This record gives sequence, C-alpha cells and structure tokens, in this order.
Amino acid sequence: MVEKSPKLRVLIVDDESLIRWSMAETLAHAGYDVSEAGNAKETLGCLSAGLVPDVILLDYRLPDSTDLKLLETIRRVAPKSPVVMMTAYGTPAMQAGALELGAHRVVSKPVEMRDLLPLVQEAYNARPQ
Amino acid sequence: MSAASPFCTRDESHSILAAILEKSDDAVIRADLEGAVIGWSPGAERLYGYTAEELIGSPLGQLVPDDRWDEFVRMLEDIRAGVPVNYRETIRRAKGGRLLHVVLSILPVTDARKRVVSALSIAREVTALKEAEAGYRASDARWRAIIDSAVDAIIVIDAKGIIESFNAAAERLFGYRAEDVVGQSVNLLMPPPYCDEHDQYIARYLAGEPARIIGIGREVTARRRNGETFPARLAVGEASVDGHIRFTGIVHDLTERVQMETHLREQTALAKLGEVSAVVAHEVRNALAGVRGAVQVISSRLPEGSRETKAAGEVLSRLDALTTMVKDMLLFAHLPEPKLEPMDVGQLVASTTTFARNDPLFRDITIDVSGVAPAILGDANLLRTVLLNLLTNSAQAMDGVGRINVSVDAPGDTCQIVVTDRGSGVPSDVRDRLFTPFFSTKVRGSGLGLATGKRIVEAHGGTLRIEFPDDGGTRVVVQLPVQTSSVG
Repeated sequence: MVEKSPKLRVLIVDDESLIRWSMAETLAHAGYDVSEAGNAKETLGCLSAGLVPDVILLDYRLPDSTDLKLLETIRRVAPKSPVVMMTAYGTPAMQAGALELGAHRVVSKPVEMRDLLPLVQEAYNARPQ
Repeated sequence: MSAASPFCTRDESHSILAAILEKSDDAVIRADLEGAVIGWSPGAERLYGYTAEELIGSPLGQLVPDDRWDEFVRMLEDIRAGVPVNYRETIRRAKGGRLLHVVLSILPVTDARKRVVSALSIAREVTALKEAEAGYRASDARWRAIIDSAVDAIIVIDAKGIIESFNAAAERLFGYRAEDVVGQSVNLLMPPPYCDEHDQYIARYLAGEPARIIGIGREVTARRRNGETFPARLAVGEASVDGHIRFTGIVHDLTERVQMETHLREQTALAKLGEVSAVVAHEVRNALAGVRGAVQVISSRLPEGSRETKAAGEVLSRLDALTTMVKDMLLFAHLPEPKLEPMDVGQLVASTTTFARNDPLFRDITIDVSGVAPAILGDANLLRTVLLNLLTNSAQAMDGVGRINVSVDAPGDTCQIVVTDRGSGVPSDVRDRLFTPFFSTKVRGSGLGLATGKRIVEAHGGTLRIEFPDDGGTRVVVQLPVQTSSVG
C-alpha cells in the first residue's frame, strides 16, 4: 500500500553520480526532498549537520567504505532513519549481516526506477516509531 | 682310389671299420629283424652305459621309453620292408633310466640275394643341444613376458624403419595387433608430417648426422589405429644385433599429463579471472546501473510513442545484456560452493520451465516436461541457473520457434535431466570447444553458459554432456548423483 507522504527527506548514498542523479530526479519529480552523498565521509557530514532522513538509500560499496561499518555508524547516529542497502553483487553473508545491523532491506542493483517510489515508501512505512 | 671303395682298399676296410667303431661316440648297434641285439659298439657302450656282454642277445626294446614304443615298432616294420630311417629325433633310455635325446638313422642290411636280414642303427646324442634349445625358448619367453608386462609401449624397428617387435602395451596404446604391424613401416604410428619424414630421419642419422632423439628422448605426437593423435614421450635406443642395427622405441603416453597441465592452466586462468572480476563487478556493473537509471529517467520524460522512446528501450535492452554478461562472468569466476539440501528435481524443472515460459524468447516455444525424478541433495538456485541456461540455448538454437523436451529420469544411482531440442545443433568442428569459457556460437552470448553449467553440475558430483543425434538437434544430458544415505 503506497501511503502518500509529501516532502519526505531521502538521502541517496552512492559513488556513481548517474545513479544518484536518476534516483534524485525520480524522487524529486514525485515530490520528495532529496539529499545526496558520494561517499562515507559526505554521508556522515550530512547526518552530523543535522539532516534526519526519512529514508536512506545506501550503496554497500563506496570508495571509503567497503564493509558494514558505515551502516553500523548510521544506525547509531540516525537510529530513526530506515536504511535500504543497495548492492551490485551481494553475498548471502553480507545480506544477513546488513539485516542483523538493522537495515530495512537489501536490494540488488540496478534498481528499477519504477520500483524506487514503492521501495522508499515501504521503508518509510516500516520506520522505527 | 678305386670307384668301388673311394675311402680305403678292401684290405684296409676291416681295420678302418674297427677303428671307427672303437673311437666314434655314435652308438652303432646291429639288431636282427625281431629286435634282438646282435652287435654293440664301444660308442653304444659309452652312450647307453650297457656293455656288449649285457646287451647282446637281449631285446633292443629295453632302450625304448614307453611313450616311444609305437614309433619303435613302426621303425622295425619299415626296416623289415627295406625302408631306412633317416635322422629321426627321438628319446632313448640309458642304463639307470636316464633319458637321452638322440638322432637315429637305421639302415636295413641285406644278404647277397638282397634280402633284409638285419638292421644297423647309428644314434647320436643331442641332449645338450635340446636342453640349450629349451633353455633359449624359456629365456625368450621370459623376456617376452617382461616386455609384454611393461606399462610403456616398446617397439623395435630395423634400420629401414620396419617394425620387428610390438609389445602388449603398444597394442593397447596404438590399437593395432602385433601381427598387423610387424613387417610394416613404423611410419604408420605417426601423423603427418612426421610419417613422411621418418625415413629421412633414420637415413640422416645412419649417415652420421648428430642424433636428435636417439639416446635423448622427446615429446612427440603419435597416431592410433583410429587416426586419433596423442601426446607421448619417445625414448629411442640403438642396438647392434648380429651386425644389424636395431632401434628400440619406448613410448610413454602423456595424454593424462597433458590433460592435467591443461586443467591446471585453466584453473590458474580462472583464479586470475576471479581477481579481475571483483574489479569489473563494481566498476562495470555500477556504471551500467547508473547509465540504466539515467536512461530510464530521460525516457520517462520523452513524449509517449516518440522515436526516442523506442531508441531508449533499445539502449535499455543492450544495457541489460551487458549486465547479464557481467553477472555470468561473476558466477563463472566466483562459483559458490553448492549448498546441498534435499530438493525435488521435478519441482525444479516445473518452476524453471514456468519461469522460462514468461520470457519473450519463449513466446513461440512449447516446453514439454515428462518423467519423474527422485529427490536429490542439490543447490536449487545453482541448478535452476543451469537448467535456464540450457532452455535458453535450445530456444535460441530454434530461433525462438518450436518444441523443447525436458525429461527427468532415474537410471541407476543417478537423477537424469535431459533437454532435447530440434534446433540447428552445433557444427562438428566447434563441438569440442563448447565448454570453453568465452567461446560462443551465438551472435550475442557470453560463452559462459555451458562452461558455468558444467562446473555447477560437476560441483554437485554430476556430469553434463552434449549429444548430437543423427537426425538433428541437440540433446543435453545432466546426471546428478542420488544420495542414498540419510541427510544428517
């Protein structure tokens, strides 16, 4: 069920600028408030500057982060923001680890643009109350 | 010398005969027509151990062993009829029972009226010769047995390259019987161009050129009777027997070693591919994902039904093909260890064929499923990949139109899945490369589907083979072991 919630804040974390651009375009077009980060440092910068995203779309592999440490940190500093992990080649171990650390879902890249809005909405609906 | 007596005069003959009888080691015996001894030479005494006193008047038959009795009786009959016995090999028994090999000549002795009145027998012992012969035969048989028990092929040729000897291992290795090749040129064991040049090799060597293989040994290509060639190590030795040169070749089959080396090279290449693929996975797949998303966004803003929308759709399908190829490569390079769990092969076939039927490629394809299969221990996800690959290959081989038959069965201790199509098959000259990674007969194909499929099935302890029925099409047989022990 897609529940319409205007002006949700979504943080997109991916080092591939075209992925960020297409997701941001799709979400902004649907009325979301979008922020972008290209690596772990920028991500933590956004969060420490006071941004509280309603949903975080997080690439597993970033130039300065290739394990689940960033997810762990995000969960600590932004415990109320549901995280959707995106991965180009996720192993079952990594998937299980991400879910254990509290990721809402792990999805495979490429993410279909038509699936993006339902995905964000579903994560938002499942946010910690 | 007179014509009547070329050797001595009549007067001398008596003393000369006495001297011959005295000194000759041949046993000279006279017997009457009933076989009783009437004359016994000193040579007979020395050979048989009986004195003249002991034997004269006794039957000659006491020198004859039981198994030679019939022969002895026939010889007596011949003599009575005036027929001589010439150089007959037989056996006689000396005093004390010792058996002697002798060569016998018996002549009928006639009186003035040409009537046969007695027999003159001259015997020479050949026991030592016979024993030497038997010894030689035994030794020859021993060497023959050793050479025939050798694991490597041993082939002896003469200076003209004609095969003189071909041992049992050579028969097994080359597929010829010794009698088929002995007397033939050794060239027939070699493929071109060596078979045409071998005569010159020998000639050059015999003319004094330095040896290239004799006493050195090297890797060569040999040819079996069926025309198949195989790698071998050939060591050649030279021997001179009775002044004739012989070459002895020892051929060691290297097929297995070469296969192992090839396998090792493939494994090394795979490991390298694995390293590279990790980089490719991130860089290429991520970039593809970005491009794909951007094209989707852009095309969503194009006017409905425009030419650009159609082009964007094409771009997306190309990107998807590239993504699939990278995914195939990753799976091939980083094949996960199968997670073996009890699974229903029938269900796997049903779900995979249902999935395939929803793919546009299978729109005009009918997939028939038949048979029942036992439960196996397998990784359903990996095996689904294999089956889907096979179905895709079949559908593409039939240009997307026709019928694919998938049958499951349980011959012996295996679970068998057979995928049969009536497609274009595969040209015979590329059939042995079908499992080579990155080899593809399709216009667009990663060339990894079958290679990956085979590795997945083999990781399950099974086999995957491809057959080409005479009436066309392709038949892929996947056999997986059925675990009889309980799953713990």
